Amino acid sequence: MDLSIIVPLYNEEESVDTLYEEVRAAADGLGREWELLLVDDGSSDATPAKLRQLCARDRRVTAVRFRRNYGQTAALQAGFDHARGRVVVTLDGDLQNDPRDFGLLLAALDEGEGYDVVCGWRRDRKDRMLSRKVPSWAANWLIGTLTGTSIHDNGCTLKAYRAEVVKRARLYAEMHRFLAPMMSLSGCRWKEVVVNHRARRFGRSKYGISRIWKVFLDLLTVKMLLGFTTRPAKWFAVLGVPFLAGTLLALAASAWVHLKGWPGSRYPLVFPAITILCALAWVHLTLVGLFSELVVKVGDFKAAEALLASPVSGGGHESPAAARPA
Amino acid sequence: MRAPRLRDQPEVSVVVPVVERHGDLKQLYAEFAAELARLGRRAEFIFVVDEHLKSALPVLRELQQRAEQEVVIVLLGGPFGESAALTVGLDRARGTRLVTLASYFQVEPLGLGPALAALDAGADLVAGRRYPRTDSPFNRLQSRLFHSLVRRVTGTGFHDLSCGFKVMTPQVADELNLYGSMHRFIPLLAHTQGFAVREIEVPQRREDRGTRYHGAGAYLGRLLDVLTVFFLTRFTRRPLRFFGLLGTGMLALGFLLALMVAAEKILFATSLSDRALLLLAVLLMVLGVQTLSLGLVGEILIFTHARNVREYHVAEVIRSPMELAANVADTDALRAS
Repeated sequence: MDLSIIVPLYNEEESVDTLYEEVRAAADGLGREWELLLVDDGSSDATPAKLRQLCARDRRVTAVRFRRNYGQTAALQAGFDHARGRVVVTLDGDLQNDPRDFGLLLAALDEGEGYDVVCGWRRDRKDRMLSRKVPSWAANWLIGTLTGTSIHDNGCTLKAYRAEVVKRARLYAEMHRFLAPMMSLSGCRWKEVVVNHRARRFGRSKYGISRIWKVFLDLLTVKMLLGFTTRPAKWFAVLGVPFLAGTLLALAASAWVHLKGWPGSRYPLVFPAITILCALAWVHLTLVGLFSELVVKVGDFKAAEALLASPVSGGGHESPAAARPA
Repeated sequence: MRAPRLRDQPEVSVVVPVVERHGDLKQLYAEFAAELARLGRRAEFIFVVDEHLKSALPVLRELQQRAEQEVVIVLLGGPFGESAALTVGLDRARGTRLVTLASYFQVEPLGLGPALAALDAGADLVAGRRYPRTDSPFNRLQSRLFHSLVRRVTGTGFHDLSCGFKVMTPQVADELNLYGSMHRFIPLLAHTQGFAVREIEVPQRREDRGTRYHGAGAYLGRLLDVLTVFFLTRFTRRPLRFFGLLGTGMLALGFLLALMVAAEKILFATSLSDRALLLLAVLLMVLGVQTLSLGLVGEILIFTHARNVREYHVAEVIRSPMELAANVADTDALRAS
């Protein structure tokens, strides 16, 4: 199969039928064998019933239903897990993305030496300024700074991936937001394509401003994991440096007090006590570092080596400016 | 591994772990078997006996010979406790409706009907809640305190976790991973796995009335259990969110205290050597970093050992009937070739 189209859905009963029609029209026009994977993220409305009807109508449609709501990251991961196509395209369930952009994405994927991921860029975004666009800019800036890969629009679900690359990815927490930058960190080639964006027709948005904090935390975790898993003992040693310094300083202070004598009647115990505490922390961190080496050594280290996936193509990327279509 | 299903398999499997005190097992069997017969459900009874309660065996053997319903006796090789007994019993069960039951008189058998009906109506697990209660005010008070703590900590709404009466589907039983004292939290664990869990009220038996006093150790153990469940239900996949919050909190507090002490030293020339607060500040920072480092080890552990554990649970995969037919045709073709 050539193409798997993955759509996460959460309470989208009004959009599902239109979505299917639009996807079918667009995908049939590509002249490739395709499947549509609808992932129902624990909807409480009529979405499951609609999905059943669709699956009965068209054999190219498959629905994966979650037991409860697990979030968009899990829904996308389930989509990747069940996808059978050589290329995977992800799409939002709220009709804001335009399936007619499929051709653009697929063409970009095969351009030149080929890319591993092509990201949609909603340059002309039809959303509220304060609640949607501003947080999105902040998140994109944060992701760009921390990963060193500045993609304009990480939040755009419309993306195309090579299946062999993305199937090796393990998403958790809110990781789908910076999947592309992470892939780029592990050497994948990426490209941006300006896509169409439409105003929301049904329902309401399910994401708010709180996501920035989560993105930040998850990004930090992933960043640390990238460093930690290769040489944990070294990282813990770095973490222990302040405590080693504290130990030495407090030790010096104690020695000074001891040698010079103390003017007051009571001998101050605070410096020896600080010496002991800092020494404890330093020893603890060093030991934890060694312990983590053990954990990593007996673990699935091959999988850990490449956090997400290794590239299929040569590596590097097309600059976003050059990637704009004429 | 689940036991293979035979053609004459029972519909309902009743699992009774006999691990602590136990009541008249014959009487227990008789009452519940009668109720199941009245409901028209074919049943089997599985008694899992802990080694130190071997004394119950003769009674059970006798029951096995005379009983109308099938009775299976499993003797554990050691004092393994209730979680192990339940796991063994549920693994042996062949029914499509699995009932667990305390080995003493806890609830009236008439709770079976509504519980099985709730399961038929789509619930994956039905947990009994002894209500109205007939036991002593002291029992009720300690149960209330415990459950309000659990509800607050886990954000769920269960009222009687220690009731042994539960009805579940085999799928739930397969995915419960019981160990230690986790049998006390079965409804919570099932809820976390994404199963539909319902609580129904079952009248309490008069025999369940005796006041139970526990030693201080038991209460401490319960508290630890709550902490474990809190951690397991919320942070299994991301330990750093838990340890990180705790660690950065302590670190920040220690840092603030240290700043305060430093400011006093500079502004009022208070001697550092007289400040016990400085010691506290350093202690907090040390603890904070240690907690944080444990969180990091946790992340590494999850990352390197549980990468294939999925965050989601799939209820079903819906494919078109035509697609299924095509797949069957494919396998048929394979078999023919």
